[in-house]
Amino acid sequence: MKKLLLNIILFFLIAIAVGEVVVRLTHAMADIPQRTIDEYGIQKYIPNQDGYWKGGEHKWVVNKLGWPGELPQSNENLIMVIGDSFIENFMNPNECHQSAFLKENMKDYNFMEAGRSGVSLIEAMEIRKQMDSLKPIHSLIYVDDDDFYESIIQVKPMSDITQLDIETNTIKYGEMKAPGLKKVLYTWKLMYYFYNRFPLDNLFRKGTTPKETTINDSEYEKPEYLAEVSKLIQFITQNYTVTDKTLVFHPDSKESLIEICKSAGFNIILLDSSNDDTWTFDYDSHWTCYGHKRAAEQISKNLLNSANQGAFR
Amino acid sequence: MLFNSLEFFIFLPIVFGLYWLIGGKRIKAQNLLVAIASYVFYGWWDWRFLSLILFSSLVDYSIGLALGKNEKPITRKILLWISICVNLGFLGFFKYYNFFVDSLIDSFTFFGSELSINTLNIILPVGISFYTFQTLSYTIDVYNKKLEPTKDFVGFMAFVSFFPQLVAGPIERATNLLPQFSVERKFDYRNAVDGLRQVLWGLFKKIVIADNCAKYANIIFNNHTEYNGSTLLLGAFFFAFQIYGDFSGYSDIAIGVSRLFGFDLKRNFAFPYFSRDIAEFWRRWHISLSTWFRDYLYIPLGGSRGGLKMKIRNTFIIFIVSGFWHGANWTFIIWGALNALYFLPLLLAKKNRVNTDLVAEGKYFPSLKEFGQIAFTFFITLIAWVFFRADSVAHAFSYLQNMFTLSLFSEIEVFPTTILALLLLFIATEWLGRSGEYAIEKIDFMKKPIRWAFYILLIVLMFSFTGEEQQFIYFQF
Repeated sequence: MKKLLLNIILFFLIAIAVGEVVVRLTHAMADIPQRTIDEYGIQKYIPNQDGYWKGGEHKWVVNKLGWPGELPQSNENLIMVIGDSFIENFMNPNECHQSAFLKENMKDYNFMEAGRSGVSLIEAMEIRKQMDSLKPIHSLIYVDDDDFYESIIQVKPMSDITQLDIETNTIKYGEMKAPGLKKVLYTWKLMYYFYNRFPLDNLFRKGTTPKETTINDSEYEKPEYLAEVSKLIQFITQNYTVTDKTLVFHPDSKESLIEICKSAGFNIILLDSSNDDTWTFDYDSHWTCYGHKRAAEQISKNLLNSANQGAFR
Repeated sequence: MLFNSLEFFIFLPIVFGLYWLIGGKRIKAQNLLVAIASYVFYGWWDWRFLSLILFSSLVDYSIGLALGKNEKPITRKILLWISICVNLGFLGFFKYYNFFVDSLIDSFTFFGSELSINTLNIILPVGISFYTFQTLSYTIDVYNKKLEPTKDFVGFMAFVSFFPQLVAGPIERATNLLPQFSVERKFDYRNAVDGLRQVLWGLFKKIVIADNCAKYANIIFNNHTEYNGSTLLLGAFFFAFQIYGDFSGYSDIAIGVSRLFGFDLKRNFAFPYFSRDIAEFWRRWHISLSTWFRDYLYIPLGGSRGGLKMKIRNTFIIFIVSGFWHGANWTFIIWGALNALYFLPLLLAKKNRVNTDLVAEGKYFPSLKEFGQIAFTFFITLIAWVFFRADSVAHAFSYLQNMFTLSLFSEIEVFPTTILALLLLFIATEWLGRSGEYAIEKIDFMKKPIRWAFYILLIVLMFSFTGEEQQFIYFQF
């Protein structure tokens, strides 16, 4: 028995070493950049990192300001592009980022991205506030329905995301969740590979339906939730300038939310991907390079119209 | 709990550790642990059906004891029939009730009248056909006085529910497995290592071969009208290796895991696709079921001892019942009948036991004649698999109709090069290892670094080519 156990342990150690080499060589898992929290409480990436996306087809970079993607050549006529994982966009090469496509369509303007997965609407507003020193002429904030609800502690409490307590009107900044463990996980590629392949929350999942713990989509249409969102928007209008910001809504966003934002004075763009299912990847809901291009076309058309009407002066 | 799941990789070392911690001398405690572990293993799917196994065990244990005390032939016969009716009653209700009702309604409709019986929404308990046959073998063997009835209920429960082979076999005979629960089990290093190697090979067959072949077999079978004949032939080829990898892979894992606990299970597959005729194929495919039917159905019916009519009748009965055992669908019945048709000429010409040795023993390649025989046997098996895989008889006929056209000789439309290359490597490994119990058994004679490199290669291939996780096909039977 002792001999068997010793051999099994030795075999596994060798197999783990070989597995680590194979996972690294084949880029079976995407490299994950390390995060930090800046002096303003904003979670961003440690500057000047780079790595490979899954499969090794392209590289991602984190610029010197700690945001994924390349910085613009100049800050003249600067438009900020702020959002969550859609703007972070690790799954596409740099040339498929919103800033690249927008620049292609609007050559007189420069675009700078600040994206991180999980950014809520209130966090996007905070990120934008930190960029005042760059004197952007306008800001695009990409949102979907969840970004509104995830901004409010009372609706969807999430400790790792910056949220607003609508009862006390105070912002609670997100905390890093298990940073040490994450560092080990992202460095030990094989372990990260197993973690992704065999999610622990599926371990004891059986045939029965899990107990519903989250609020489903249709629930959000209820007046009480819309009232909470109205309080959030009210807080935003009182504490941030909204006229220099455009909210870019994902396709199929809720009309009720759009209406609340419109009446608060935001410029609104609702993206349209109808009859075009090639916007997103087969295996996840993020936009493909094509999806980003189509989105940028719709946004630049709208922005150029606004510019012609003197909106950015 | 699936063998290829994370749950099982946690469950197995825990049970293994506890089992040997108890020690081989404390047989009763070990048996109790095996029984509890088996109930946990089975209950992971649906704990409600544990009562079925428990009830089946209680009935057959009691009947066994009663048979041991009774010498009156009529009483013994009644006891045997009670066991048969209870076991087959459960099987019939859960597996065949809706089939019989549907068939009855269809027959009435065919003759112009209407029959109104409702079908039921019945969940088929996983592996019911396997453990039912296993417990039946106990009662029949006790009835035939081939086996003394056991007085150890815990040992009997462990025998009926033994988790490595509970849900998809091999179907163990009480005469082989039950006595192993009453003797001291000793940990044997070589046996355990061999068991682990067989588990690894079984996992490879399931994860790399079966699940990847399933992906393409499903695409081609589900859209068969869109493909030409050569692609449909490839679809059947993929299914042939899906079912082989799936089922023989499960058997390898079951046998290997049992070895870790000091138990020897029957061999269930012996490289069936290298058979030179259909009789040899059936001696090498799902051996535990074929021999079960031979011993408990074919021989009691008279076997091949009677005249020509009886031989033909018995051959058809055994193959059709075998087909029906697989599922309540006419496709399985036709699959069985087709195999009987293949088998009959050999039986009538008394050539059904010609190829009993190992093909091309000691040689790297078969002779041209042997190759032709293997290819022909594989091809007719492939045709039969179409019925086994098809959703309905109409689907199977339509598939074959589309396959046997001139387009059979045109270019294949779906050609997954990597999977085909893997299949080729797999067939080569199986061919080279065909003299062993399983393909990589003989690797034991190689040096440790080569062996370990090979094992690591298998593991890397498993993670690299994991297809979509598919439940083992034979669970549904």
